[in-house]
Amino acid sequence: MKARRWPGPRRVGRADTLLSLDGLLDTVRAHHPDADTTTVELAYAEAAFWHEGQTRRSGDPFITHCLAVAAIVADLRMPPPVVCAALLHDVDDTACPPRRIAGQFGDEVADLIAAVRATVVSAYSRADQGTVLASDATGPSPSPSWETAVLAVRLADRLHNLRTIAFVAPARRLLIARETLDVFAPVASAAGLEPVGRELRGLASAVLRPAPSSYAVTGRLLDALTLLLPARRRARWREEWSADLAALTTRRARVLFTLRVLLGVPRLALLLRRRAGRRERW
Amino acid sequence: MGTPRMTLQTQLVLRALLEDPAEQRYGLELCELAGLPSGTIYPILARLEQIGWVDSTWEDPAVHETAGRPRRRFYRITQDGAAQARDALARAYRSRRQPLPGWAAVDPATGGGPS
Repeated sequence: MKARRWPGPRRVGRADTLLSLDGLLDTVRAHHPDADTTTVELAYAEAAFWHEGQTRRSGDPFITHCLAVAAIVADLRMPPPVVCAALLHDVDDTACPPRRIAGQFGDEVADLIAAVRATVVSAYSRADQGTVLASDATGPSPSPSWETAVLAVRLADRLHNLRTIAFVAPARRLLIARETLDVFAPVASAAGLEPVGRELRGLASAVLRPAPSSYAVTGRLLDALTLLLPARRRARWREEWSADLAALTTRRARVLFTLRVLLGVPRLALLLRRRAGRRERW
Repeated sequence: MGTPRMTLQTQLVLRALLEDPAEQRYGLELCELAGLPSGTIYPILARLEQIGWVDSTWEDPAVHETAGRPRRRFYRITQDGAAQARDALARAYRSRRQPLPGWAAVDPATGGGPS
């Protein structure tokens, strides 16, 4: 419903998300100049088709998650088949027929997805130092081992879920954070996927760090305020405000900050909902 | 891309951003620099971002993780934005200096006004 307000004919449909298919393709090409990225585009279209109408807890269309996971995987210099698997890693939860992905994208992509979904991350011990990528961080992109490719998608999935964890119920949030610190982050580092490991640790620690009580209250109020904004913009402002809120040291300052944001939210919502074509007149 | 309405608040935000155009600042920091409340700052920043005068990025993970805090959204005035903002500020300044209607304006030739 809200998506219709956006007039742009962009392929991704949301000019304001930092991630776009074009950006993803650029990343893949940067790491694999000779690779054919057509399959990545097809995989995106396939994922967008099957996830049509599904939304994340944040209110974002589900495809934003697929794209974000694929972007993380591409940043890890994974080749196109792995990026395809990342885009399609959740289509098994949709009406997509079971053999369709293998038929369209080949057994490699289908097997990767199956392996990602079946992977028990804790089974990868830290002794498994399969540092395929770490050894060659600047040279031409090496072919990752099967295990590294599977782990990359699985860990990217967890990473994006953590980035958007604000929308998960508090009790479950703690469980996810704990498991991330105990299992996912060490495995990521051991597999040579250190940037992912570092961010997983940072995000999970932030969840587990006890917040002062007034911060928790004002934080929840800020969460509620973002509901007034267009769905696709909520995650950004929520994160921005809570980071700014965290910079305040006194309870009084936090309450004042939150109340003033409250006063500004209608104006911000109006501004963000305004159609691009009518911007000039504002 | 249009220009923002040059309200006093918008001017304050632009001045704060222009103080050191290369510096990246987060919302709360700009509140303090501009002396404006949080509810005023964010819509103005969003508007300036829409018209391309300002761009914003998330903080480098290495920095905020080391500091052990959530990542901040940083704003910086764009090159184009800085040029346009300076013009717009100058125009706003001039228009404030001529509050009298045309018939009452100071005649620049004589330096005197109607008595």
